[in-house]
Amino acid sequence: MTAKRIRFLKEFLSFSGIEPDRLRLEWVSSAEATRFVEVITDFIDQVKELGPSPLKAALAAQDLN
Amino acid sequence: MKETIIEKVKDLFEDSRIEAFLGLKEENGQIGPYLFTDPKDLEGFSLGDKEWPGDKRYPLSKILIALAQKYPENRFGILVRGCDERALNELFKWNQLNEEHVVMVGFPCPQELAEACECPKPYPESLVVGEKVKGIKSKKVEVILNMGMEGRLKYWTERFSRCIKCYGCRNVCPVCFCNECELANDDLIPSGEIPPENPIFHLVRAAHMAGRCIDCGLCEEACPVGIPLRTLYKKVADIVDSEFGYRPGYQKDQKSPFNILGERPED
Ligand code: SF4
Ligand code: SF4
Repeated sequence: MTAKRIRFLKEFLSFSGIEPDRLRLEWVSSAEATRFVEVITDFIDQVKELGPSPLKAALAAQDLN
Repeated sequence: MKETIIEKVKDLFEDSRIEAFLGLKEENGQIGPYLFTDPKDLEGFSLGDKEWPGDKRYPLSKILIALAQKYPENRFGILVRGCDERALNELFKWNQLNEEHVVMVGFPCPQELAEACECPKPYPESLVVGEKVKGIKSKKVEVILNMGMEGRLKYWTERFSRCIKCYGCRNVCPVCFCNECELANDDLIPSGEIPPENPIFHLVRAAHMAGRCIDCGLCEEACPVGIPLRTLYKKVADIVDSEFGYRPGYQKDQKSPFNILGERPED
C-alpha cells in the first residue's frame, strides 16, 4: 500500500513538473545501521546530481512578471 | 425532458417515497438550488440550463448532507447528472449520507456539455429520462504531459500564483466534507498570505482529492482566477486508477484505497 502511494506521489510530482527522483522510499530496520548509511549517502548523491530544485527559479520568474 | 422528470418527482411524492425533493428552480430570472416540499411548487423547476447547457450546476449532494443532518429521519429525492450520482456514491461510502434515505432522479447531459467537461460518464445509472451520452476522454491532461518537466513546472506555478485563497474550490466541492481542513490550518497555510504557498497549497488539495474527486469540475468553474484545477485532479484520478484500480464514484461496493491501511508488505 505504501509502495503504491509513493508511486502515486512520484507520478503526481512529475505531472507538476518536479523530478520524481527527489522522492525515495526504502525500508531499513533499526538493526541495519550500515544499510541506513548506504541508502542515505546514495540518496544524497542522487539529489546532488539533480541539483537545486527548479521550483525556486520557477517561483522567482513569477515574481518578475 | 423536464416534463418527464417533473412527473417522476410528483409520483415519488404521491407514493410517499420522499418527503422532499432537492432540485433547481428558476425564480426572478435566477436559477438556484431549491428544496421542493410540495409538488405544486414544481412549477419553475429547472435543469440548470440558462445560457448554455449546464451553466447553472450546483453541488446538490453537498447541500443534501446538511439537510440530512438536520432531518435524519426524512427521505429526500435529488436531481442528478452523472457527476452528482458519482458524488453521492462516494458520500454513501464515506458515511456522509444514508443511501436508504436518498432517491436519485437522473438525467443525461447533452453531448456538448460532455465534451466541454471532458466527462468520462455524462449520465447517471439512475436515468429516468433521455439517452446515455458517449463519455469523453480528456485531452487536456495529454497537453500538459507533452510540455515536459520544465514546461509543466512553469505552467503550474504560473497558474497557482494567481490564487487568491478564496477557498471557492474547496467550498463548492461535493466530496470535501472534512470537519477540519488542513488548508485552513494556520500553522500549515498561514492566513493573510496571498498567493498561498506555491505550489504546496494546490498540491496538498490535489493529493487530498486522490480517491475522492469524482470529476464534476465545479471547482474549476468556481475559481475566480481560472486555475485549471479539473485537469490537475483528472491526472490524480488517472494515477489512482492505474495504481489502485479505483475510480471514485463508479463502483458502489468498492471503498477508496485511501480509506484502508492495506496488507503487510511481503519481504
Ligand atoms: S472536480 Fe473539483 S469540485 Fe468536483 S469533486 Fe473533483 S475536486 Fe471536487
Ligand atoms: S477557487 Fe481558485 S482562487 Fe479560490 S482558493 Fe481555489 S484555486 Fe485559489
